[in-house]
Amino acid sequence: MTPAVISLGPGRAPARRMASLAATGRLLRLELKRNVVPYVLPLLAAVFYFDTFRTADGFPPVWTVRASVIGDHMLFEFCAFAGGMAAWAGSRERRRKALDLVASTPRAVWARLSVTLAGTLGWLLLAFLAGVAAIYIPTALQATWGGPPLWPVFAGAAGVIVVTIIGFACGVFFPGRFTAPLVAIGLLVLYQAGFREALGVTASPGTDALLSPASAVPAVDAGVYHHVAPDVPITQVMFMGGIAVALLGVLALAAALRQRAPARDRISWRGWPARGDNWLLRTVAVVLVAAGVAASSTAYSLAGTAKLTATGWEIPALHDAARDRPVPFVPDCRSAPGGFQVCVHPAFSGYLGDVAAALDPVAAEIAGLPGAAVRAEQVASVGTWPHGYGPSHTAGNPPVLEYSGEEVGDLFGVFWGIPAGAGPDWRAGFQQGLLDPFLSEPPHSAAAARTGPAPLGAAQQAVEDALMAAAGSPPPLRIGQHGHSGGPSQAQITAAASRFASLPASARHAWLAAHLAALRAGTITAAQIP
Amino acid sequence: MNVDISGVTRRFGRNLAVAGVDLETGPGVFGLLGPNGAGKTTLLRMMATVITPSAGTLRLLGRDPGSYGPRREIRCRLGYLPQNIGYYPGFTVAEFVEYFALLKEMPPARIPAAVAAAVERVDLGGKARAKLRTLSGGMLRRAGIAQAIVNDPELLLLDEPTAGLDPEQRVAFRALLRGLGERATVVVSTHLVEDVGAACTEVALMDAGKIVFHGTPAELTARGEGARAAGDAPLERGYGAVLAEARS
Repeated sequence: MTPAVISLGPGRAPARRMASLAATGRLLRLELKRNVVPYVLPLLAAVFYFDTFRTADGFPPVWTVRASVIGDHMLFEFCAFAGGMAAWAGSRERRRKALDLVASTPRAVWARLSVTLAGTLGWLLLAFLAGVAAIYIPTALQATWGGPPLWPVFAGAAGVIVVTIIGFACGVFFPGRFTAPLVAIGLLVLYQAGFREALGVTASPGTDALLSPASAVPAVDAGVYHHVAPDVPITQVMFMGGIAVALLGVLALAAALRQRAPARDRISWRGWPARGDNWLLRTVAVVLVAAGVAASSTAYSLAGTAKLTATGWEIPALHDAARDRPVPFVPDCRSAPGGFQVCVHPAFSGYLGDVAAALDPVAAEIAGLPGAAVRAEQVASVGTWPHGYGPSHTAGNPPVLEYSGEEVGDLFGVFWGIPAGAGPDWRAGFQQGLLDPFLSEPPHSAAAARTGPAPLGAAQQAVEDALMAAAGSPPPLRIGQHGHSGGPSQAQITAAASRFASLPASARHAWLAAHLAALRAGTITAAQIP
Repeated sequence: MNVDISGVTRRFGRNLAVAGVDLETGPGVFGLLGPNGAGKTTLLRMMATVITPSAGTLRLLGRDPGSYGPRREIRCRLGYLPQNIGYYPGFTVAEFVEYFALLKEMPPARIPAAVAAAVERVDLGGKARAKLRTLSGGMLRRAGIAQAIVNDPELLLLDEPTAGLDPEQRVAFRALLRGLGERATVVVSTHLVEDVGAACTEVALMDAGKIVFHGTPAELTARGEGARAAGDAPLERGYGAVLAEARS
C-alpha cells in the first residue's frame, strides 16, 4: 500500500519544504476565503465613513493633520472589530468542538493556528490599508504641498496587528461564544484609557501615554514648517510589536506544552525545559517571548526619556538632529490693488483667496497710516507650542501682520469643517487680528509682543467695530472687554461705531490719520469719535 | 500488527475510563462494541493520538505514538471520525475535506483528485459545493467520513460512523468499510450490532473499561446460542450474553 503522505526521507527535504509551503498557501487561501472578517466589513466600512472619513474630510488638506485620524479615530474602530473577530477565529476549534478532529492530524497546532491568525490578520490589514487609502487619496488630490506621512500608517498597522493577536490569543485560551464581544469591549476600554492618557485627561506623572497610538489632533501646521520627528511612532511600533511577538511566543509555547500534556486540551508544564518533543518549537517560543518582552520594555524605557520641545516630543536615543532644521518653502502670496500683500505657506495655498478676501477690505481702511501692516504673513504655530498659540501680532518695519495657521484654524472655522454659514464670524475674527495690534499701544518688548496686544479701550473698540462694519463684517466677539467700570456702556460704544462707520471712507481715514496716536494712547473717548 | 495495545489504562481524575486493555489487530474491519460509558471512545481517542494512555504501551502502524516523529508519521497515515464531529459551517463539503487533507500533509498536487474521490465515495458528489451549515445530520456524518478517508489511511478509526445515516446509506457505508478493510485496519466503534455483523471480520466487546470479548462476529453469535439473553438477532443475543457473563 502506498500511503498518500509526503515522504519523510532525508533526501527529499527541499521537495518536502516546497510541498509544505504549497500546502500552507492552500490552507491560507481557505482561511481567507472562509474568514469571518468579510462578513463584518460593511459594518466596519459604515463606522469608518461616519467617524474617521468625515472627520478627516473636515480637516484642511494638510498631510499631518489628515493622517492624525488614523490614530485618533480609525484605530478606535479597528481595535474593537479586529480584537473581536480575531477572538472569534481563535476560539473556532473549541467553539465548534473540532479539537479532537484537528488534534489527530500531523500539522502542528502552532502551524494550524498561525494560518488561521494569518487569514484573519490579512483581512484586517487589508481593510486598514483600504481605510488609509480612503483618507490619503482625497488628500493627495487636495493637498498643495508635502507628501503622505508613513509613520502614522506603520503605528496604526502595528496597532491593528497587536489587537488582532491579543484577541486571537484570548480566543485560543478562553474559547466561548462570549469571548469575542468581551474582547471587543475590553479593547475599546483599553484604547479609551490610552486615549485619555494621551490627551492628558488623567493625571499620569509619566510619559507612558506616548506609547498609545491615540493622540490629540496636532497643530494645523504640524509637519509643515518642521519635520514631525518619528521618535514617538518608532517607540509605539516597538512597544506594540514587542507585545505582538511575545504573544505569538506564548501561543507557540502553549501549543507545544499542550502537545506534551496527557490530555491535549490542557497545558502541561511538567518537564517543559527537557529536550524531546517540540523542543525546537519550545525554544523558539521562549526566544520570541523574551525578544518581545525586551522590545516592549525598551520602548517603555525610551518613552520615559521623552522630552517636549517646541516642535513636539523627542526621544534623545532615537532623535535625528538633522531633521530639526526648518523645512524650506516659498510662500504663496497675493497683492491687493491697494498694495496690501497676503502670504500663506504653500500647504495652505487653497486658503489664500479666503485670507486675502478677509483682510484686504480692512487693510484698505488703514492703508498708509502709521503702524498699519503692509503685509500679512503666515508663520509657524508649532514653534510656540506648548505655550499656547498667541494671537496674531504686527512686527517689523514696515509692519507685517504675522498669523499662524493654527490661529487661522481657530478664527477661520472653515479649516475645521465649520459650514460656510459661519463665514462672517471667522472673517470678523481674522480682521480683528489685523486691527487689534494696529489700534492698541505698540508692545514695548518681545515678550509683550508674544502675549499679543492689550485689550482695547472703549474708543478703540468703537473704531474697530466701525472699520469692520465698513468692510461688511459684524462686530467681533470680545470676551472680558465689555462693561468697563466707570466707562461708556456698550450702547454708547455701538452708537459711536455707527457714527464713525457712516462717514465716507476718506473721512474715516483722515480722522484716523489725525487722531491715531491719541486713540492708541486712550486719550480719546467714544463720545469724541465723529 | 497495525494496532498493538498492551495493558493500556486511561484515567480522567478518579474515573477509570480504560482499564488495562490488550488488543492486537491487523488489516480488516474491527468492530468495537459496548454499552455507553464502556470506554470505547476513550480507547479510540488514544488510538487517534488525541490523548495519551495513563499506563501501558500503544503501538500503531509499528510506531510508538509517544514520540514526536513517529506520532507525526502515524497521523499522516491515520483517518479519524470522532463521535461528535466538529465542523466549520461556512466551509463547503469539498473545502472541509480539502482542509483536512492539507492538515494531514498530503502532497498538494494529489489533493484535488483525492478530495473528489472521497466525496464521491460517501455519495456527496452532488453536494460538494454546499456549505456544511445547509446539510442534514446524516450528510454531515458522511462529510466527516469523507475527511477521514481522504488520505487513503492505513489506520481508520470511526466512532459511531453510521449514527444518523439512513438505511440505504448504511448499506452503502458497510460496503465502503469492507472495501477499505481489504487494505487498511478499520476500527469501528458502534452500538449497532448489525453493522458489526455485516462488515466486521473481528469484534471486541468492552464493558467498564475492559475488553470482555475478542473474536469473530460468528464467535460472538455463538456465545448467545442457548443463552437467555435479550435480543432480536443472534448477534444481539451474543452481545447480551457476553455482557451478562462479564457482569455476573
